[in-house]
Parts: sequence; C-alpha cells; structure tokens
Amino acid sequence: MSQAHPLQSHARRRWLQPGKIGVYVFLVCSALFFLAPLYIMLATSFKPMEEIRLGNIFSLPVEVTFEPWRLAWSDACTGVACEGIRGGFWNSVMIVIPSTILPILVGAVNGYALAMWRPRGGNILFGALMLGAFIPVQVMMFPLVRVLGSVGLFGSLPGIVLIHLIFSMPIMTLLFRNYYASIPEELFKAARVDGGGFFRIFVAVILPMSTPIIVVAAIMQVTGVWNDYILGLVFAGRENMPMTVQLNNVINTTTGARLYNVNMAATILTSLVPLTIYFLSGRWFVRGITAGAVKG
Amino acid sequence: MAITVIVGYLGTAIWTLKVSVSSSRTFPVDDFVGLAQYVRLFGNDRWLLSLENLALYGVIFILATMIIGLLLAIFIDQKVAGEGVLRTVFLYPYAMSFVATGLVWQWVLNPGSGIQDAVRRMGFPDFTFDWIVNQDMVIYTIVIATVWQAAGLVMAMFLAGLRGIDDDIWKATRIDGIPAWRVYVSIVLPMLGPTIATVFVLLSTAVIKLFDSVVSMTQGGPGTASEVPTKFIMDHLFGRANIALASAASIVMLLTVIAIVAPILYARSRALKRAGSQ
Amino acid sequence: MNQAKVAAVALMAIAFCSGVHADAPKAEVIHWWTSGGESAAVKTIAEAYRSAGGVWVDTAIAVGEQARSVTVNRIVGGNPPTAAQFNTTKQFLDMVEQGVLNNVDQVAIKDGWEKFLPETVLNVVRVKGHFYAAPVSIHMPTWIWYSKAAFKKAGITGEPKTVDELFAALDKLKTAGIIPLAHGGQAWQENILFTAILANLGGKELYLKILRDRDPIAVKSEAFKKVLVTFKRLRGYVDNGAPGRHWNDATALLITGRAGIQIMGDWAKGEFSNANQVPGRDFGCIAGFGANSPYIIQGDVFVFPKSKDPNAARAQMLMASVITAPATQVQFSIKKGSLPIRTDVDSSKMDLCARQGLEIMKDKSRQLGNGEIYLSPDQNGALADILTAYWNKDIAIEKVQRDILAALKDGQ
Repeated sequence: MSQAHPLQSHARRRWLQPGKIGVYVFLVCSALFFLAPLYIMLATSFKPMEEIRLGNIFSLPVEVTFEPWRLAWSDACTGVACEGIRGGFWNSVMIVIPSTILPILVGAVNGYALAMWRPRGGNILFGALMLGAFIPVQVMMFPLVRVLGSVGLFGSLPGIVLIHLIFSMPIMTLLFRNYYASIPEELFKAARVDGGGFFRIFVAVILPMSTPIIVVAAIMQVTGVWNDYILGLVFAGRENMPMTVQLNNVINTTTGARLYNVNMAATILTSLVPLTIYFLSGRWFVRGITAGAVKG
Repeated sequence: MAITVIVGYLGTAIWTLKVSVSSSRTFPVDDFVGLAQYVRLFGNDRWLLSLENLALYGVIFILATMIIGLLLAIFIDQKVAGEGVLRTVFLYPYAMSFVATGLVWQWVLNPGSGIQDAVRRMGFPDFTFDWIVNQDMVIYTIVIATVWQAAGLVMAMFLAGLRGIDDDIWKATRIDGIPAWRVYVSIVLPMLGPTIATVFVLLSTAVIKLFDSVVSMTQGGPGTASEVPTKFIMDHLFGRANIALASAASIVMLLTVIAIVAPILYARSRALKRAGSQ
Repeated sequence: MNQAKVAAVALMAIAFCSGVHADAPKAEVIHWWTSGGESAAVKTIAEAYRSAGGVWVDTAIAVGEQARSVTVNRIVGGNPPTAAQFNTTKQFLDMVEQGVLNNVDQVAIKDGWEKFLPETVLNVVRVKGHFYAAPVSIHMPTWIWYSKAAFKKAGITGEPKTVDELFAALDKLKTAGIIPLAHGGQAWQENILFTAILANLGGKELYLKILRDRDPIAVKSEAFKKVLVTFKRLRGYVDNGAPGRHWNDATALLITGRAGIQIMGDWAKGEFSNANQVPGRDFGCIAGFGANSPYIIQGDVFVFPKSKDPNAARAQMLMASVITAPATQVQFSIKKGSLPIRTDVDSSKMDLCARQGLEIMKDKSRQLGNGEIYLSPDQNGALADILTAYWNKDIAIEKVQRDILAALKDGQ
C-alpha cells in the first residue's frame, strides 16, 4: 500500500509511515468486525427478556439489568440444583492444572526425542500420531470408555487427565518437535560428548531453553481443556464435571425456554479464565514463539 | 508416546473398522455384514452433500484464515500503538464457547434480525444479505464465523514468526532499496515456512472436526445445506444409535485424511533425510 | 476405591443434612431437564422421591442426545446411574435386548400400570411382557397455536376447524401483512409440521400405515402424496428469516403479534406464560381438526440400568412408583406444561389447553404415537433428513416418496 512512496525503502520503521493511516484503518475495521459479536453479547446480557423478545440485537439496553449476570453465576437452574455455573469452577481448575502440565511434559519429551535423537521409525510414529489429530474425539470415545472402564479409571479425575493427555499429544508433540528442530545441533552434540544421557541432557540443557514454547503450549492447552465439554462430560464422572457442563445446562435446551441474557452472561463469565491468561501472557506468547518455536 | 499411538490411535482405528463392517446399533456387536454400511453411506444424499460442503469449506476457510491472520500480523508488526489491546481483541473469540457465539452469529446473519434489517432501516430498503437462509450460500456464513474465531490465533503465530526474523535482513534489504511488499513476498514468506506448516496442520484438524459452529449456527440447515461429516457421524453415533454407520463414515474420513496427508509427510521425511545426510 | 470413598462421604453428608437414614434408597438420576421450567418440574419429582424416604442425586445434562449418550457410555464403562431419562420411543430397545436394564414389573403390576396407562405408552414401556421403563410425562407435539391479536387484525373470526380453513386463515394473515406461520427452520420443527399434516389431513389410518407399518403401498399412494404436497404448501406462509430459528423465537413472533399461527408442542405454553400471556385470552390452542382428530403422544420415561450395587433395585422400584403416582403426576405436569400419563387425576389446577388435551386423551381411539414411537431412531432420523431437504429444496415428489420408502426400509 505504500510502495509508491520514495521513503518506503529507507527504514523498516518508516516504510509504512505514509501508509500508516491505511494500516490503522485496516486494523480498526478488523477490530470492529472482531468486536461486533462481543458487543451484541454484552448488550444482550444487560437487557431484560421482554426487550430481547422485541428483537433489535444491535440496540443498547433501554433498561439496564444486572440480574442475568447474578443468575448466570449463582442462581440459574441447571437441573434440580439452581446454583448457576459457579459449581463447576473448581472442578475445571482441578482438571486444567494437571491436564496442562502433563501433556506439556510429555509433549516436550516426545519432541525432544524426535528432534534430537531421531529414533528409528520416529517419523512413522510421528506421522501416525499426527493422523490421530484428525480423528474426531467422539469417534474414539466408545473404545476409550471400555479401556478406562476396565482399568477402573472411568469417571475419575485421573481418567479425564489421561484422556486430555492422549488427545493433546499430537499437537503438543508437533509444537515441541518444531521448536527443538530449530535449536542448533552443536549444542546437543556437545552435551552428548560430555557424556550426558537422554534425560540428563533434557533436564540440564533442553528444558531450561524451553520456557517460551512451554508458555505457548500452556496457553493452547489451557484454552482447549478449559473449553472442553464432551470429554469432561463423559470421562470426568459426576463429582468432577467441569464448568462447561453447567454452562451447557444453562444455555442448551430443546423444549425449555431460553434466557438469552443469562446465556450471554454465562458464556462471558466462563471464558474469563482463558481471557485472563491471554491478557497476562500476551507478551510471553509472542516472545515464546519468537525464540524459535516455528522459526525453523 | 509409542503406547499412545498403538493403544490410543491405532487401536481405536482398528476397533472402528471392525464396527463399521458389523450391524451394531446402540452397542457394538461382533457380526460381519460386509460393506453394507458403506453402501448405505454412499447412497445417502446428506452424506455426499456433507463431503462436498467440507471440501468447499476447508479450502476457503484455510485460505481466508491464513491470509487474514497474516495480514493482521504484518500490520500489527508495523509498531502500531495499542498493539497489546489489538492482539487481545483479535484473540478473544478463541476463548469463547461457540454454543453462545454461534447464536450471536445466527442473529447477526439472519435477514430478519441482523445486518440486512439494520441496513434497510438506515434507508436502503433493497439491501440484501441473507446468506444464512440461502441453500447455496449458507456454508460461507460458517466460514465467516469460524474465520472470526480462528484468525486471532493464526495472527499470533504469524506475528511471533515475524518477530523471530533477524533484523539484519531488514537492514540489508533497506540498503538494497527493495520495496517492502517484495521483501515480504520473496524473503519473509519463505522464512515463515515452518510457521505456515504448523498453522496449516492446526487449521486442517479444525476443518475435519468442524462441528460446534455448524450445530450452533444452522443445525446443518436450511434443510441439509450446511451439513458436515462430523455432524453426520455424531448424529448416527448418539441420536440415531447406529454406531456401525457412524464408524463407516469415520473410516471414510480417516482414509481421506491419510490419502491427503501421507504423501506430504512422505515427501517431507525424504527431504529431511536428504538434508540430514548432507 | 477412591471414588467409592468420595461417594460414601457424599452420601453420609446428604444423609446427615436431610436427616435421612443412611441406608435410604439412593437414586442417581440422569435427565436433560435443565431450563427454568424444566428444573422446577424435575424438582417436584425429586421432592416426592425424598418424601418417600429416598435420596435423590441429580445429574442434569442438557440436550437429550447428550444425556442419553452419557448413560450409554456409563453403562459401558461399568458405572451406570440408578435411573436415566429417555423418550417414550424405541431409543432404549437395544438396551433391553442387551440385557443391561432392570425391569420394574413388581411396581407395574402392583400399581396396575396396564389399567391406567395409555395404550401407546404401554406398548413402549412393556417389552415382551416386562416393564422396562417408567413413564413420566406426555407431550403433544402438534398443537396449533394462534395469536388472538393477529387473528383480530386479519379479520379471522373463528378458529379454523379443517385443514382448508387453516389455509384460509393463513391467507388472511398474509393479506394483513402478518407472518402467517411462525416457523423455526430446523429439521425437528419441520418434522412436527409434517406430523401435523399427516395426522390431520391423512387421518389415523394412513398415519399408522406410513409410520407404524412402513407400508410401501401407502407411501406410494395418492393420499400420502397429497399430504406431502400440503406439507410443502405451508412453506409459502413462512417468513424468510425462518431457517435456523429456535422454536421459542418463533413463539415470540406470536407473542408480539408479528405472526399468526405456530404449530409446536405444548412446551410452547411456558414461553407464553413467561410473557404473561394467558390461553383463551391472548392466544388459542387447537389440538387438531374435528371431533375425531388424532392426539399425538410423545413423552419421557425413566429406565433403570442394572447395577452391581445391591441397593439399586430398591431405589429403582421406589422411583418407578413415585413418578407414576397421581399426585406427582399432577404437580410435574403443571410445571412442565405436559400432560399426566394417566387420565384419572385431578385436572382442576391445569390450564385450559391441558384440560382440553386430557379430555381428548380419555378417548383411546384418538391416541397416536409420534414417529419415534413406531420407528427406530435411525429410521426416524433418516425420514427427518428427507423431509427437511424436501421442505427447503425443490425435489420431485416422486423422489421424496422413493427416498422415504428406502429410509423406512433401511436401518432398524
């Protein structure tokens, strides 16, 4: 957009200077497109149902009500209980923590082994694993229920963590493998010459260099696990049902009435945890990849 | 990892294959009915349409998400003010459950309540934007909503890739007086190769698993116009209690993925080997 | 091991809190009643169960398909619930055949289910002489609702009494600039329109020939062709914002007077009453056309998976007897907007439409099951696919008939 200007090629910083307005126009327009649904969600969440029924989705609430937010958090009925979505909050936390740490550790070891040690058949194994990323989870559910049931892990916290571990392994492995592939091989060779073993090199050399990619992986994994519904529903057992089950109970119904304002509030409330993590780790996220995750 | 691959993925695939040649309904049974389920599958209008939809959707979605994500990343990389805010704005849809955002998209796109209605009220009575109720256009509305959800993540990955490019390259091209767009096209893009590959794999898995957005926005409608394979599989797996047909459909999907992915992986591993032996 | 401990602690805590003896029959119940009105309804059952000395452990999972799939998965995984909701359909037939369900013959015989249950429901819960499910509610999916305000504006004076009069009313509404038929364009809602036309225009005999007997001659008949054409004719009275719309948004069109008529189940009453509208004053309800019009039955039951827990059977029997008791039935129905599964109850506190429905139900010859009662879930789904495609696209009627024939032959 700025190639016609004579200044363009003089400094990266100045290159787009004349086109800077264009850049801002594009970014602001995009931002408006991205924010429009959030605006509608927020506006809807503060309207009473009568106003929603009349139906202008773009209008601001005439009569602002906070009732939907209170209902969503602590009073909406989701069955015999009417406790809103908060009931599953700690369950979700209990699932997210191990389901983030373990897959990252395993993914890191896998990626390290594949990238540095290049075991025989490693590529075939990796290929098969990547195919796994394409199988819809629901298809794998039945056999996994059988397997977990037979080892007594079905419907338990360790069970759901194991399931998350299995389903996140392809992508986690991919992330770490690409990251480690970009680390200079000399470093690894030097460590081997010094007599380091598989885990010794991993712990002493590789792991300390992995902070950035770990942050990246953590963000993807936290979002994925936090928003997971179907796996938690089936595998976690009724004592450990995540927050999304409550969220779905609030939002989804076939023949019951729908409270759109409560639905919107509940959705926004549920997504606050991943949103906070994006916000806090935004810098890390970017620097993490910068340090070589996908640099090649 | 080997154990996961063997037990988790290969085991499931074999199990699914076995069920797909049985007459299982709610529960798996051990009989053998040959390819009857596959015959029924490929005689089913809805399944054929959902394959077509997925191919069309996949190409447009991946292209659009990559282009928009890349553009956002490049523009945000121009040292703009408020970068942190913009990044969060583009990324937030990734954290939201589609159960509710799908409904919002349905409202926005519906001619009676959404954009069409709003523009008409502003004094353009002939304005028409009714893709979501249109048999031929509805699949594009799924593209719009899913691009909205995924573009931010893609932007973040590309942005990171861009930041990782050595500053020296910019200095060198500056001295040579090469225009910015040419630097992006002929130097930066190739250097982003691995990022593009990672993003491509991520988006491809999202395409194959496309489900939530369709269910929450159109329920596969109007009619069967926006049906996708995963929804067909899920309907038969649960609601219609025909796990044999669902398994047959899954096997077809898996074979399709293998047919597309295997040559790419093979080519890549050969390229790697050659690079390694040099 | 660990889980058993947690469960034991939870049980003790519940027992302690509610003052129930520790070996009270404990029932963990999976159901999909999660919205406001549904919650209130299921609460009446839970209360009744508790006052009968039981302990109710609630596992609510929105959307029937998901709740049922959790039940099936938990049976496979060896951790079944005590009771699980299903529809009054063939959905649980496979489970009966696999021998994973307990029967509740003891209660059914003692309470005389055969005497008071509608035959249609009885034929679903009784498989090969044993009672495998306890019915809890009856819904009628094809009520014709109309807005009195819209009718007045369009100059429609009386309720339509035939299919022809229905179309005449739709025409008048159209002329008056009102959306004639409020419709949500989703497959299951199109299925409801089809069922309404098949029952009211085709009549009981054709209805059973198509859906129950899957009779090829009937599917190819002129009478059925007329049903299909009439079904599609309704399409001309729907606004173009219909596709994807939820049923309650269609009802909202009636409530705000923007639309005239909606064909939908009796759960729509909840939406009207949330907006402070009263049957007979603000809106009307028509069960069907003419004195002999069929009354379509759809409903919910609970099934009782076999369990290693020796106390489960006792809890299941108690549950079966509590939910079918007249008092529970009345309270539940009022909250849910459904009808009781028995007509020998006090209907004085029910609304106008429910009383009308209960009156019709007393005439056994007018009862018919909805499609799912006669068809397997697979066949029913395949039929729905064809109908929604036909509704939305131009498909030759002969092809539709052929496809329906194939769909009803397939699966099972």
